[in-house]
Amino acid sequence: MSVARARRTVLGVIVALVTACAPTVVQEATQLTPVSGKTFRLTRAVTVPLSTGYSTTLRAGTRWDLVGTVAQGEVYRTKDQIVTVEGAHIHEGFIVVSQGTMVGFYLPVERTFAPVTPAVPLSIEP
Amino acid sequence: MKRTVAAVLVLGAAALLSACASSGPKFSEMATSMSVSKPEMGRIYFYRTTVLGAAVQPDVRLNGEVVGKAVPHGFFYADRPAGNYQVATETEVERKLTFTLDAGQVRYVRLNISMGFFVGHVYGELVDEAKGQAEIVDMRYVGAPVPKP
Repeated sequence: MSVARARRTVLGVIVALVTACAPTVVQEATQLTPVSGKTFRLTRAVTVPLSTGYSTTLRAGTRWDLVGTVAQGEVYRTKDQIVTVEGAHIHEGFIVVSQGTMVGFYLPVERTFAPVTPAVPLSIEP
Repeated sequence: MKRTVAAVLVLGAAALLSACASSGPKFSEMATSMSVSKPEMGRIYFYRTTVLGAAVQPDVRLNGEVVGKAVPHGFFYADRPAGNYQVATETEVERKLTFTLDAGQVRYVRLNISMGFFVGHVYGELVDEAKGQAEIVDMRYVGAPVPKP
């Protein structure tokens, strides 16, 4: 086997391994305090890049209802679309908003906060 | 000769795929007999649209309990009380999907396959109701026998 062919084989194996093993979603322990009574509508779609290499798109026109607060901000949930956070595993997520920007996801099953860096500005209306 | 070999291979592959695929009634034929029994329960549908990697049919576990198999073109469902759920499938690695289920809510989990190192990875993806309803219609039932009303 030539050196070039061996290199291609090794590269192929590495690519296969990388695509087979996505990183896990970074999570921090947090505590949700249930709160309700606020809502907003997203006026423009926004694509949120994740540290795992995947991304999540929040659709324009979706309505979001406050379900609680965590130390990082207010937690909103929508019934208008599925929101998931993907890495090695896939987690349903609610969004965490602070001062008009989306700072991360609250993962309701894991009860953790998954940060989004940098925070993503949201275009919203009541 | 080459054409004959190719034709034999294609026919063989088709036979293998059809053997691996499901053979129960279609979702559209069963819809009326599958109403959720209790209002405090939610329902989770599982389905697999692709025959890619048809021989790879791992168990599907819901909160640790085996509820079915990821059969190509097949579907099954589980009724559960409101709460937090984890769907896990395992081939050479374990893939998990976590989500909440409300009372009366219907969730759709599509079982996809992605490339693996030696074996494809089957994983659950939560899809919205409209997409789930559209995709599951032609799937065939591969779950436990449904009790008659």
